[in-house]
Amino acid sequence: MKEPIRITLLRHAVLLVFVAVAIYPVLNVVSISLRPGDRLRSTDLAVIPTDWTLASYVKLFTEQPFLRWLGNSLVVSAGVTLTGVTLASTAGYAFSRFHFVGRKATMLAILTTQMFPATMLLLPLYVLIAALGLIDTWLGLMVFYTATALPFCVWQMKGFYDTISPSLEEAARIDGCSRFQAFWHVVLPLATPGLVITALFSFMTAWSEYIVAAQVMQDERMFTLPLGIKGFQATLSSQWGLYAAASILVSLPVVVVFLALSRYLVNGLTVGSVKE
Amino acid sequence: MAALLARASVLTALLVVGFGCSGGDSRTTITIWHQSRPNEREFLADEIARFENQNPGVRVRPLYKETEELRSGFQAAALTGAGPELVYGPSDVLDTFHTMGLIQDLGRWLPPDERADFVAGSLTSLPARDDPAREELVQIGDRFGNHLALVYNRRLLPSPPETTDELIRLALEQTVDQDGDGRIDRYGLVWNYTEPFFAIPFITGFGGWVFQEGESRSSVPESRSPKPALDTPAMREALGFIRDLREVHGVSPANCDYELADSLFKSGRAAMIVNGDWSWSDYLAEPELDAAVAVLPVVSSTGQPMRPMIAPKGYSLNVNAAGPAADAAMAFVRHMTAADTQRRLVERLRMLPVRRSIQADPLFQSDPTLAASQRQLENGRLMPVVTELRAIWDGMRPGYQAVLGGSLTPAAAAGRMQADAEGFIATMHRRIEPSPAATWLPAVAGLGLLGLLVWQLPACARLLADLRANPTAYLFAFPAVAMIFAVIVFPFVWNIVLSLSDMSLTRFRDWRIVGFQNYAEVLTDPRLWGLSGVFLKTILWTVVNVTLHVAIGVMLAVTLNGPVRGKSIYRLLLIIPWAVPAYITALTWRGMFDYEYGAINLVLGRWLGLAPVNWLGEPLRAFEACVITNVWLGFPFMMVIALGGLQGIPQELYEAARIDRAGRWQQFWHITLPLLKPVLLPAATLGAIWTFNNLNVIWLVSNGGEPQDSTHILVSYVYKSVFNLYRYGYGAALSMVMFLILLGASLALLRRGKATENVYG
Repeated sequence: MKEPIRITLLRHAVLLVFVAVAIYPVLNVVSISLRPGDRLRSTDLAVIPTDWTLASYVKLFTEQPFLRWLGNSLVVSAGVTLTGVTLASTAGYAFSRFHFVGRKATMLAILTTQMFPATMLLLPLYVLIAALGLIDTWLGLMVFYTATALPFCVWQMKGFYDTISPSLEEAARIDGCSRFQAFWHVVLPLATPGLVITALFSFMTAWSEYIVAAQVMQDERMFTLPLGIKGFQATLSSQWGLYAAASILVSLPVVVVFLALSRYLVNGLTVGSVKE
Repeated sequence: MAALLARASVLTALLVVGFGCSGGDSRTTITIWHQSRPNEREFLADEIARFENQNPGVRVRPLYKETEELRSGFQAAALTGAGPELVYGPSDVLDTFHTMGLIQDLGRWLPPDERADFVAGSLTSLPARDDPAREELVQIGDRFGNHLALVYNRRLLPSPPETTDELIRLALEQTVDQDGDGRIDRYGLVWNYTEPFFAIPFITGFGGWVFQEGESRSSVPESRSPKPALDTPAMREALGFIRDLREVHGVSPANCDYELADSLFKSGRAAMIVNGDWSWSDYLAEPELDAAVAVLPVVSSTGQPMRPMIAPKGYSLNVNAAGPAADAAMAFVRHMTAADTQRRLVERLRMLPVRRSIQADPLFQSDPTLAASQRQLENGRLMPVVTELRAIWDGMRPGYQAVLGGSLTPAAAAGRMQADAEGFIATMHRRIEPSPAATWLPAVAGLGLLGLLVWQLPACARLLADLRANPTAYLFAFPAVAMIFAVIVFPFVWNIVLSLSDMSLTRFRDWRIVGFQNYAEVLTDPRLWGLSGVFLKTILWTVVNVTLHVAIGVMLAVTLNGPVRGKSIYRLLLIIPWAVPAYITALTWRGMFDYEYGAINLVLGRWLGLAPVNWLGEPLRAFEACVITNVWLGFPFMMVIALGGLQGIPQELYEAARIDRAGRWQQFWHITLPLLKPVLLPAATLGAIWTFNNLNVIWLVSNGGEPQDSTHILVSYVYKSVFNLYRYGYGAALSMVMFLILLGASLALLRRGKATENVYG
């Protein structure tokens, strides 16, 4: 379909402006990572400083256990993403399609778990983690991250299922599918964008969290990326070069995950023809 | 495939449990939580290796924790009977730990006859909690430091100023606009002048101090707390002097915070900096400079030297440490304070030792930095080891910043500081007596629960019946729901109990239920509910942020969803604010809002010809800066959600609309938005909840509520009262109130949006 040229131009203009706004601060972070001497601020607007160096990046791999943190974080995030997607896709379906006792109340109750300021929960959370013997385990982290990510994911999946007409499943049922088969073969593929968002969100929750991680992980070998990076920060003497370089590197896997998933997010399985 | 997914999850979980268990080690393991700076950490690691060699039965595990994290983490851990054997850091938190009963007396590991060689001030003792006449040794220092001195760039300045008159003269000479574009290219003097700690040398130079002098700690607990002495002539003169450096002499940049001062000096754009011993090695190593450390000058009008605050750094023992672990821990402390180790400390780190015998080391003569550091230490003043010091800093900050921002005179600011500090100290020590409610509350709560159970009994019966009739629904919903609640129930109940208690600084371990006093205080606080109060600001913050997140997100998603070339690249670049850790980007934004050097003012000035905006110095502008940063952080997420939602809208609807000659706007309004709603509504609701409770952005961009605690939203207000004034009960009550506000708002929003209902009926 052809669009009028002014619409096309408008689209590009809007996108270009926002791309500029989106990446400028991040270019600043790149600039910090290239500056020698841990200087957070600069007096000019140059993105590449005149005395640039890659020393911070080299140090990350040679003097810091960056790869170990990366590995730990990947394990935790992968675990959380898998569990999150599995549990949210089933629970969301139940909340969207079934009318069972306590459905509304449960949905609201799930939402309320997000309403506490996390900093107030640290002390009881530590008590809980210690009592369950989950200090220094990945299981402890994964359970907490999944539980943190799930409320949004469940609601999101329910929202996506709601946009899919139930008549499709009914048709499948008439064709002899079981309830589960209808869910599996008809509904789930149509909800792919929702699954992608759920996966991204679960991944990001686990990937960037450090407050709970700092409580659970007391052994440096078990540190996840955010915890490791936090160590570059110290009152009035932070290692900004390392901090910025690590921040840039940490965002790369997110970008990769997004790239891998985003084709389902846009031009996805254009399912218009199957739908009403 | 779902089964496969599930199986994979279980497998991962098993794998994790397997990996999580570490192997046995017969050695006694001791853990140290420390807040050492990077170069000190290497020294610590080497000394641990040396110690382990000499003591094969002991393993030492160091763990770095940032200042605030160490404090709150140790409080939590020690309260539950766990935690590291040793904590290492400056002496300022000792009184807090001691008052809370978290650290033990070290007296029996260091008998009086062994203390003779320790420099005065390196061993910290406090009156015992049960018997104030008895002193308990709470910290053994292994180095001195944290003192400020003057660092100057010898390429610009051959010798340092001896007096403040000379300081102003030299600074004026060095403040230059080299290229004549009207902007200053180099300043004479920079330092972090947003933080009162850095104002101490000026105050002492004019003859003042932060607490009333000459008062030894009384044995009566109520009058033990020291009295602030901030509304003094010395304070007024010091504040006037600092203000004039910028306002009259113009030798310092506007709104200069720590990072800006540091970066300016490191890049040769400042001739002198006032900074602490932690920073000197970086300056000396910087190839762009020829830095040297000098003693702070003498104040010309009083003839007194500027005296910085000094503090020992050292080890304290967890109250829960006992037996061989405690002995091993103290053996390590002994190692760190032994003469050999102290000598290595001086040689490697150029830090000041705690042993007199080492102070005679020839290095103190030959190394000019060490010599200057030692001289500065000698005329420094020991940091008072009292919890009230925190109230002094918090009380000073708003008045101090108001003087620098020009909204208060030094005299008015000194008065405000004194009043604020006294108020904070009173709050810190407030005791809440149990009300009658405390006695019947547990009984009523129990009855209430029972009543609820009876009332809901029919519903439970229906649930059981439904469970049999509709097992798939429960099977699908149960695992997620169970997981969510397993984690939240205990902290939730804990918080309710805490909100009814008097848990605070003086009642940290022995708190009790007192009734609804905390709620009464929360609900009658004019700072929270007034017309310009924190509550309304929080609402404004939430509404503006979420509206902009959703509006920008939907707009970009719709824009991207058409036939656009380079779509995938645009999409990728637009999610970058979400991908990069928010901590560093928020600080980058803070830099961009800088008055003189920030990108935003430069763009406003150069391209739009507007006057620079004092973003971080004026209350409303600082709040706007926080909003802008948060909108930037949050729009990509909403864009991704909206993009996903757009895929679910059948194309036929648009085709039908075109046949009906509906315009683009009409299509958007009547097709796109209504069909995006089921997907956007939960995201917007949760987005509002997260924004309401978003501490980070306010904290980082406005540096903890600056200027003058004016940018606070409820959550940062809670954070400050809990973590700075130790008001755990009050904080819990306030967070319960916040919870109820959010609950009410979400219920209303969702009911109107009918989010629990299916759009197709």
